[in-house]
Amino acid sequence: MKKIHVVGIIVIAVAIGVILTSLSNSTSYADFKEAMANPGTEYHVVGKLDKTIPVEYDPKVNADLCSFYMKDNNGEEKKVVLHKSVPQDFQKSEQLVLIGKMQNGEFHANDVLMKCPSKYNDGKPQI
Amino acid sequence: MTYTGEHIWAGQLGHGFVILSFVAALMATIGYYFSSKEQLTHSWKRFADIFFSLHSVAVLGIACTLFYMLFNHFYEYSYVWQHSNNSMPMQYILSCFWEGQEGSFLLWTFWNVVLGNILKRSLKYNQSWEAPVMLVFSLVQVFLASMLLGIYFGDYKLGSSPFLLLRENPEFSNLPFVQNANYLAKLDGRGLNPLLMNYWMVIHPPTLFLGFSSTLVPFAFAIAGLWRRDYTGWQKTALPWSFFSVAILGTGILMGGAWAYEALSFNGFWAWDPVENSSLVPWLVVVGAAHVMIVNKNKGGSLFTTHLLSVSSFLLVLYSTFLTRSGILGNTSVHAFTDLGMQGQLVIYVLTFIFLFVTLLIHDSLLKVSYIVLSLILCYFGILYGYKKVLFFTWIIVSTAATVWTYIKDFPKEKNEEELFSREFWMFIGALLLLLSSIVITYFTSIPVVNKLFNANRAPVKIADYNLWQIPFAIIIILLVAVTQFFKYKRTDTAQFYKNIRWSMVISVVAGLVCCIPLYFVKDYKTASTEDRVNYILYSLLFISAIFAILANADYWVRILKGKIRHAGASIAHIGFAMILLGALISTSKRQTISQNTSKKQVERLGENFNAQKSLVLTLGDTLPLGPYMVTYTGKKREGIDVYFHMDYLAKSKAGKLEKVFDLSPMIEDNPRMGKASNPDTKHFLGRDIYTHVTYADLSEPADVDKDAYKEPTNFVGHMHDTIPLDNSLVVIDSLLTNLSEQEYRQNDSLLIITAVLRALDIDGHVYKARPKYIVRKNMIDPQEAVIPELGLKFIFWKINPEQGSVEIQISEKVGNTKDFIVLEAYMFPFINVLWAGCIVMVIGTVIAIRERFRLRKISQA
Repeated sequence: MKKIHVVGIIVIAVAIGVILTSLSNSTSYADFKEAMANPGTEYHVVGKLDKTIPVEYDPKVNADLCSFYMKDNNGEEKKVVLHKSVPQDFQKSEQLVLIGKMQNGEFHANDVLMKCPSKYNDGKPQI
Repeated sequence: MTYTGEHIWAGQLGHGFVILSFVAALMATIGYYFSSKEQLTHSWKRFADIFFSLHSVAVLGIACTLFYMLFNHFYEYSYVWQHSNNSMPMQYILSCFWEGQEGSFLLWTFWNVVLGNILKRSLKYNQSWEAPVMLVFSLVQVFLASMLLGIYFGDYKLGSSPFLLLRENPEFSNLPFVQNANYLAKLDGRGLNPLLMNYWMVIHPPTLFLGFSSTLVPFAFAIAGLWRRDYTGWQKTALPWSFFSVAILGTGILMGGAWAYEALSFNGFWAWDPVENSSLVPWLVVVGAAHVMIVNKNKGGSLFTTHLLSVSSFLLVLYSTFLTRSGILGNTSVHAFTDLGMQGQLVIYVLTFIFLFVTLLIHDSLLKVSYIVLSLILCYFGILYGYKKVLFFTWIIVSTAATVWTYIKDFPKEKNEEELFSREFWMFIGALLLLLSSIVITYFTSIPVVNKLFNANRAPVKIADYNLWQIPFAIIIILLVAVTQFFKYKRTDTAQFYKNIRWSMVISVVAGLVCCIPLYFVKDYKTASTEDRVNYILYSLLFISAIFAILANADYWVRILKGKIRHAGASIAHIGFAMILLGALISTSKRQTISQNTSKKQVERLGENFNAQKSLVLTLGDTLPLGPYMVTYTGKKREGIDVYFHMDYLAKSKAGKLEKVFDLSPMIEDNPRMGKASNPDTKHFLGRDIYTHVTYADLSEPADVDKDAYKEPTNFVGHMHDTIPLDNSLVVIDSLLTNLSEQEYRQNDSLLIITAVLRALDIDGHVYKARPKYIVRKNMIDPQEAVIPELGLKFIFWKINPEQGSVEIQISEKVGNTKDFIVLEAYMFPFINVLWAGCIVMVIGTVIAIRERFRLRKISQA
């Protein structure tokens, strides 16, 4: 067997290894129900901010903490504690992706991605 | 209806050019096809050349027409209206050109035309390659030109034209303005995305797209090589072009990093964003391809790898176009281009070129025919009956099998095995590692595609995981960069090799350890988690290897090449590459959050395992410690839609007095259409950068109010020793005193006075006391207020809840107490300049190497 073939086999082994490892220890999208069932496991939860309940953020107390309520795609609503400052234009968001885990009935998020209705792209010609 | 003021001719002209460019590219393709078959005559070649020139003129014509329309604000055209407006500074008109998808495809087409013409000229002495290579070029141009057609075939739209009229845009065609014949008189454009109004955005896209275009050259040669069954003849010619691609694409990617670092608030220059990855991956592959070409030129062999890598880098550019333009990434990327409904078209292009590659690769004619027939059948079934996923996987497996089969059975291979101690072996390994690393990145980036194919719901891969997987690759690759030049082709004297590298190796290990131990092991290691410990070891290995690569290449240049700059291109480029890795490593791994909440206010911690505090609350006029500095927020200023927050950074002078060192003005753009966007501001020093951005602020103008009036009181319920955070101070309930014991009070029904002793601590540490009293006189409660005039505070102690053992105090603060404040994050990036300097060094080295190749070729031709 040539050295090159040995190298080739190693390359293929690593590639398969990467795929298998990343399958086993990656987070996945979930709803609150699944996150509740596995507290301590990190999930990405997609949902909408409940705009009827005010977002609590008091930078004077803790600038890295805010809390709000989010409805996941199944309509289940949970209190969310976000360990970050409140994102810009948070109230205007139309969809949130929380990254974090369930703890004591609250969802503790490290980070949030939000999708805003980009008025920029939705602007219409007006005269 | 006749509309006034429209410039219909411009759109017709532009559209005419688009159609001409498409038809001419098609004719050129046909012409070059027959031209490569003709032996003695050149009539087909002349035919093809004319059409390629016509195509070039047409592409230039499209670009000029679009520019003319943008410059003159022809808002009757959808593209102009969408991407520019009247108030926009003219220097960004270039950014408007390529902001939209149609424009960026046009930019790509344009660079292909430029490169195609230069290449054609340079192939004059190499006629046998001219027609096949230009055939591939023209074919790619047919595909790209079709992206701009915007023609409907029934319901299916082919391409998207930049010359579509606003009122004919299906999105807007039912709006009221269409009914107004004079709509243009008052119409203003929608304008450019403000994030793109940045000087980096003027130069980053054209550089990057030139880089994308340049991968077409090795691709065209490799495809032509497969077609002609001449696997070596093209490599020498394609070699400098591949390195051109390395230099330009590399510059383009790092310019994107610089833009992200300067203008976006994602706290760094690289975030493994899908869009960044999809330009990095073709670069890694083209670096691999170029290096294997060197092996081939000097020693022969590695034929399959050169073809595979050259073809892959272009295919990966196509694939990344699909990833970023089809909308499949959804909200995983900051770059999201909107979907123009070209997803299908892009997939077809990628698959067509894979099909072309496999078909040309196959030697056996029966296999070739079977492959073509099978592909067509699968395609036919896919269109008619669906089952697209199953058919797609079948096709991919069949294509891979055919490729592997051909490689094993028919492809010319080296008879002799490579020596372990030879340059070609290790360069080959390096190229393979680059390929492997890019496969991993591509797989990680393609998670949304994988989700779609397998109906999975996996979340995007985290930055930490990207780093964890890529650092080992980086370590091995940079070690190869260090040692490989010291190997000779074919066979190396082992003793001489060790003798050559021993000093740089010893010095780098010593220097590396001297730096790494204090960096990673003195303070952090003991308290770190296992995951971090693994990282620290990896960081140190990468650090030492990068230093080794710098020293070894410098040594090779000085000692072996005798300091001759003309031959030192490779060494210099390698030094640059090692510096990039070193700079990225130090600035990222030792990035320091200097904005911990240092305002002495009580901070309530909730939950565990969350990042340490990273935000600082800074009140107007306050001076707080921020890393090695003291920082003062001196005020905000609104300029148009931009609100700037001015901050002074102070440090103690020699005399022990606080003096201003520099100031920064991070900005929040309060865009009525785009929403708010935070723009960081960075102070660059030689050895470190101080990076600041505002995450939360009140953007309104300070109003005219009576600062001495009290605000609405707030009620505080608490216990002894509780701390109450106020705007300008912290208040602690020190003790509660009574004048009588409970027994005495019960017995005598007399006057009961309970005093709350409150201690207020202001920002400078001054202590004030207040004693509000809770007085019960004949069962009537009559609280007596207490005031701290210095702090503008008023306290009324009005209720006691014996069951909970808590007290309630009403607190009023003066309006003037609430000062404007901002929440900011600040980071220190140490030695990030090593990265930028490395980039420049790498480009210089590559340019020297390319010049040398051209010089040698000229000599050999003369």
